[in-house]
Amino acid sequence: MLAEQIHDYLRTFFTVTGCEITEEAPDYLTVQLTADIDKRIMNRPFYWQFVESTKAEPNPLKVTFITKKHENQDIRGEYIHYGSMRMHQIFQATKDLGCFVQMYENMEGASLFPWVGANFKVSYHTDQTKEMLFSLGINLIHGSVKSNFQDWLIERTLTKEFPKNAYCLPYIVSPIRAIERLETAIENYIGHDDMTWAEEAEKRWRREQEILNHFYEGVIEKPEVYEIEKEALRERFQPRIKIEIVSGGIFYLK
Amino acid sequence: MLIEKSSAWKEEFARRLNEDGPWDDWTLYKMAYEVVKDQLITDFSGLQAPKFLTNIQFLDYQIEAARTVIEKMNGKAILADEVGLGKTIEAGLILKEYILRGLVKKALILVPASLLTQWVDELNGKFFIPAIGCRKKNVPFEQYDFVVMSMDMAKRSPYREKIYEQDFDMIIIDEAHKLKNHKTQTYQFVQGIKKKFCLLLTATPIQNHIFEIFYLVSLLKPGHLGNVESFQSYFKKGKNGLAEDEYLKELVDQVMIRNRRQDTGIEWVGRNVQTIPIQFTEEEQKVYQMIQSLKERTSLFSNSFAMTTLLKEMCSSKEAAYLTLVKLKEKVQRQEEIDYIDEIIEKMSNLEINSKAEKTYEIIQKAKDKVIIFTEYRATQHYLQWYLYQKGIKSVLFNGKFSKNKRDWMRQLFRDYADVLIATESGGEGINLQFCHHVINFDLPWNPMKIEQRIGRVHRFGQEQDVYIYNLAIQNTIEDRILDLLTNKINVFEKVVGELDDILTNKVEERIYQSPNFVSNFDFEDYGLEGELGFT
Repeated sequence: MLAEQIHDYLRTFFTVTGCEITEEAPDYLTVQLTADIDKRIMNRPFYWQFVESTKAEPNPLKVTFITKKHENQDIRGEYIHYGSMRMHQIFQATKDLGCFVQMYENMEGASLFPWVGANFKVSYHTDQTKEMLFSLGINLIHGSVKSNFQDWLIERTLTKEFPKNAYCLPYIVSPIRAIERLETAIENYIGHDDMTWAEEAEKRWRREQEILNHFYEGVIEKPEVYEIEKEALRERFQPRIKIEIVSGGIFYLK
Repeated sequence: MLIEKSSAWKEEFARRLNEDGPWDDWTLYKMAYEVVKDQLITDFSGLQAPKFLTNIQFLDYQIEAARTVIEKMNGKAILADEVGLGKTIEAGLILKEYILRGLVKKALILVPASLLTQWVDELNGKFFIPAIGCRKKNVPFEQYDFVVMSMDMAKRSPYREKIYEQDFDMIIIDEAHKLKNHKTQTYQFVQGIKKKFCLLLTATPIQNHIFEIFYLVSLLKPGHLGNVESFQSYFKKGKNGLAEDEYLKELVDQVMIRNRRQDTGIEWVGRNVQTIPIQFTEEEQKVYQMIQSLKERTSLFSNSFAMTTLLKEMCSSKEAAYLTLVKLKEKVQRQEEIDYIDEIIEKMSNLEINSKAEKTYEIIQKAKDKVIIFTEYRATQHYLQWYLYQKGIKSVLFNGKFSKNKRDWMRQLFRDYADVLIATESGGEGINLQFCHHVINFDLPWNPMKIEQRIGRVHRFGQEQDVYIYNLAIQNTIEDRILDLLTNKINVFEKVVGELDDILTNKVEERIYQSPNFVSNFDFEDYGLEGELGFT
């Protein structure tokens, strides 16, 4: 992300989370944090612990974030950029606060179909990693599954409020069952995916195990170190797949 | 195949459905999706970290090193770049990459105490890795994910045990050449840590003996160079020297990255190294010979270390040798032995000329520039300061034990005020003196890597002029033998590890390493004992 993108990102993030932006220029913004956002991004657990235990009046910080550094800048503040720890915390806060939604397609008087959408992160792990993101949606009436669901969603106008005179069809498949169906779909995908990476990792693992065995060749009672090394090899090379839902929700769509 | 499914999201979703909310904001939901997508690691290979670290100007070879460690060496490697090429940067980059890829959640970085602050600062300030430095007793380091600790602290109870209990994904060890001896507590401590991903950093993977690389590699990857018996029988015989060397080098290359200045694509200033042979005066020669004959005159020199030390000291200055002689005198009992030592002491105190010091003065005058002198002995250091003062040359003293403040102060004095800096040991990690271009090695240590580190004080990034190195050696003394040994060791290093920048001149053409008596050429120095015996 470029400096401008970071700047826009911050403006949106703070506006949406209810933090007032008190001053703004192209290269910085000053923001009055809310207590919740302060707790999430400012790293001061001791202060908040103190406030809670003494029931003192909370005093969230007002911060200036400098999004573009240049010479002769006379504002004081914290320089923030894509790799910085603060940005990392703001990304994390975004993820934590944008996890579960319930949205309606904004159409007055329409009959809306219930859907469940979920964004799956699938990671292949050995001593290397690869990640994939799948956005799937499932219709809770007839059970059909749609891929690239998130792209499909953002083309529509969605609202958090129930649209006037709209009618939501009741679902037949329960949302939790639906999630499970999506999980099965993901597992099917994995089942057909190319697993050369795992075979290669197993080969590397075997090779390294042979080397280790060679070191202790002829040693009848192997020392503890041998077991530690062996375990470390397993942890490093054993191929595994992680499936995780990063966000999702229930959607009523035309 | 192991499949790990997390049900956390599903459970929370069910709860919110049940209680009809609370529901998150749609804008944040969309932003979160974009963040996840943006930070996705879409490929097994390639580096993600640089796009987060635009504040660092990585050099091509540093990126290449990180890729090789991750993609070809599977995350276990010795980083052995020459001094001053940025091993720390490479290590930080590799660590960051593994963190981003979710493969490292906890890491332990073991460093010499003097480098602790620097590591913590770099990890935090450059790599945005929230590392804490653990230098006090009561830091609850178990609660932190990224811990920098001094090796001396880590190997002791109760830290040792606490470290064993932690589940670190990555271990980084700086100045790893200190792990050359497998009998030390440090070595055994490191051996006992679980090393999933591991980086060993050292510019000098071999200092004295080929076995050092064996023990270093065996720490990283036991068995890679065979076990002790097979390594010993295969490499120690030295029958077919060359073929074995190449084979060993190939094996070592599989776990080691070594960038050299000249491979970096950066223009380095030249390094001119001269070995300057010096003749003792007749009087000095006489005293030297008398010391040599001590062996026949007394029973004290059954131990050859003491003899060697004394001869080396005499080659440095009478001041250095004097103290040792006085101590010796206390130990002998027979009157004739005492008389003989007294005679030496008397002859010694009558010496008016130190040939080496005179040569040094000559070099300083010719250089017309600032000069650093390295000596192994404190007594020589003080003598030289006095001697140069007589000649109207201002000098400052320096030694590795100075505190950071004092070092900085001395450096400043040297830069702004004095002509000469006289140092006992660079410590390899002390100060950077790029404003100086002349280094005199007044006497030579047994270990060539020490000389390399001395030279590294001036021949490093930021040096704009050629540097001149003068190695002083007195002819027909033990210093001849030291030169031979240094040459040998450099040859071993170059065969197994790779070329070195010039340290000595006139490399001996005949390679002693290949000769059948290779082993006997490496007696006591081989095992790094000179450090413990005060030869360093």
